[in-house]
Amino acid sequence: MAAAGLIVNPAAGRDIRRLVADAPLMSHREKASLCLRALEGLAAMGVERVHALDDGVGILGAACAKLRAELAVELLPIELEGSTDDTVAAARLLEQMRVPVIVTLGGDGTNRAVACGCSQTPLVALSTGTNNVFPSLVDGTIAGMAAGLVATGRVDLDRAATRAKRVEVVTAGRIDLALIDAAVVRDRFVGSRAVWDVQRVRALVLARAEPWAVGLSSIGGRLHPVGAHEPAGLYLELGEGETVLAPIAPGRVVEVSVAQWRVLELDEDIELPACDGVVALDGEREVPLDGVASARVARRGPLVVDIRAALAAASLKEVRALDA
Amino acid sequence: MELTKDKALWMYERMVLVRTFEERVSKLFADGEIPGFVHLYAGEEAVAVGVCAHLDHADFITSTHRGHGHCIAKGVDVKRMMAELFGRVDGLCRGKGGSMHVADVSMGMLGANGIVGGGPPLACGAALTAKTLGTQQVAACFFGDGAAEQGTTHEGMNLAAIWNLPVVFVCENNQFAESTPVTYHCAAGDIAERAASYNIPGVTVDGFDLLAMYEAAGAAVERARAGEGPSLIEAKTWRYFGHFEGDQVTYRTAEQSADYRERDPIKRFADQIVSRDLAVPGDLETIQRSAETEIEEALEYARSSPMPQPEDCLTDVYVSYPAAKLAASA
Repeated sequence: MAAAGLIVNPAAGRDIRRLVADAPLMSHREKASLCLRALEGLAAMGVERVHALDDGVGILGAACAKLRAELAVELLPIELEGSTDDTVAAARLLEQMRVPVIVTLGGDGTNRAVACGCSQTPLVALSTGTNNVFPSLVDGTIAGMAAGLVATGRVDLDRAATRAKRVEVVTAGRIDLALIDAAVVRDRFVGSRAVWDVQRVRALVLARAEPWAVGLSSIGGRLHPVGAHEPAGLYLELGEGETVLAPIAPGRVVEVSVAQWRVLELDEDIELPACDGVVALDGEREVPLDGVASARVARRGPLVVDIRAALAAASLKEVRALDA
Repeated sequence: MELTKDKALWMYERMVLVRTFEERVSKLFADGEIPGFVHLYAGEEAVAVGVCAHLDHADFITSTHRGHGHCIAKGVDVKRMMAELFGRVDGLCRGKGGSMHVADVSMGMLGANGIVGGGPPLACGAALTAKTLGTQQVAACFFGDGAAEQGTTHEGMNLAAIWNLPVVFVCENNQFAESTPVTYHCAAGDIAERAASYNIPGVTVDGFDLLAMYEAAGAAVERARAGEGPSLIEAKTWRYFGHFEGDQVTYRTAEQSADYRERDPIKRFADQIVSRDLAVPGDLETIQRSAETEIEEALEYARSSPMPQPEDCLTDVYVSYPAAKLAASA
């Protein structure tokens, strides 16, 4: 019986950037609609069972109430904390269950939590967060179909999935990871987490620097683009120097001064500048900076399904034939 | 986020004072010393303090039936608050309001409110005054998840939006409207998302994290003061006591409450400011002791204040109508 995992982050798209920038508020109703379309897509490709994290606010329930397809949706046996830990625990459990694919609904932060819990299970990442680089902004139906093709073994993962890069931040004996960017921020507290004031950013380590991205990684994207598949990263120190115009938050295109930057080789360690601050991972203040810290870009991130490539590679005629 | 040592210690002191006040009131009520009804704010301190840290005396707040924390965060005198709870003449409302109607207009505290959802229209009125007079004052409107389902709250948010009023709506979602869980009574899932319908910004904040509250409220107050209009902050929180004192709390488990107490907002903030050298443990102990002294002094003050006299019943209740107008209308 073909199965898939599903993780919906109810908290995505709700942070302070709705007050300090022009970020939109994504309602649970929209998330439920996206979720419903993903479930229909999965079922149409022959998936019969979905193991899902309980979102705690009824998003999944609202989607299931409208589901037309024959699909068993079962909640994962996880005691909810109402925090990121729920996502990490769900990803870990789904990998232990050897579920062939996980569909995620959230932003870069959600997928970072998923990547903390699993490494071998391919991800189909759908965007519902604020300024996302990692997940795709596609229709849920299409994402569900792509995940369904992976779940039913109709897609060659060597061709339709790639191992993502990640930033590894090493501080006082612990390693934290980011999927897109790690920033040294002159803020002494985690507070409301989001980073929107570029004046407070001291340095950036980027796994990706896409010219089309919104967020801190866009600063690198304006200087020296580094794509998802390139075997490199980027390091920037902000300060007096070359100026670029970058969209650092939704609706906020600002001038940013970069003192120096350079391309990083994969697995090259770089010492982070000493700072009475915190490290922000994928735009969220997370780790207090205390003493020496270093970072590197490595190709040890999650296995990511390219939704378009998966659909292009699979023949849907075969699906019909198998169903018949 | 800029946070000075003075501001950090002020916020810690206010949270400790609220907690100490509420714990003492719980005992006094159990002993039968306080008349009427009390609803305690313990657990939710980070919400009121995180918001009021950005307001000054001239700004307005509207409150709820659970209003002691809002009063203390706004800087209202605890001696006269305690006397009000005791129903004595030295109380803020000369003993006629009690816990559920305690008010201090001189401090911009427009009153605790027995009407669930009574605050939003008042906040809009105060904000309209500020906007009309161009005073730069802001109104913070505290309301609960139960009030979020009242028509007055929707009317208030809509009015604030169409008139672009300087209101910060702060929903204290402690997850139960009396005994009804928010998962049952709220169709939207998150109350913050209703903001989209009023075309105003809405955010969800961990109401147990003072610094998250402080930062979000700072951004919302700044918007309001700059003439950018209202916003909605939904603070996810938890009350340590029942809905009212005497509530048997059969609708939630002891384990849930124990989990929240482990994440206590005051202890969490203490750890944060000590680890970042904004305070030493000795500062915090001094604040705790001085809060206990302040509450004991407030208690002595309340106990020694006289009861109102029967003839006081009609004073300060009706607005005095000028005699000349009365004569003219006769």
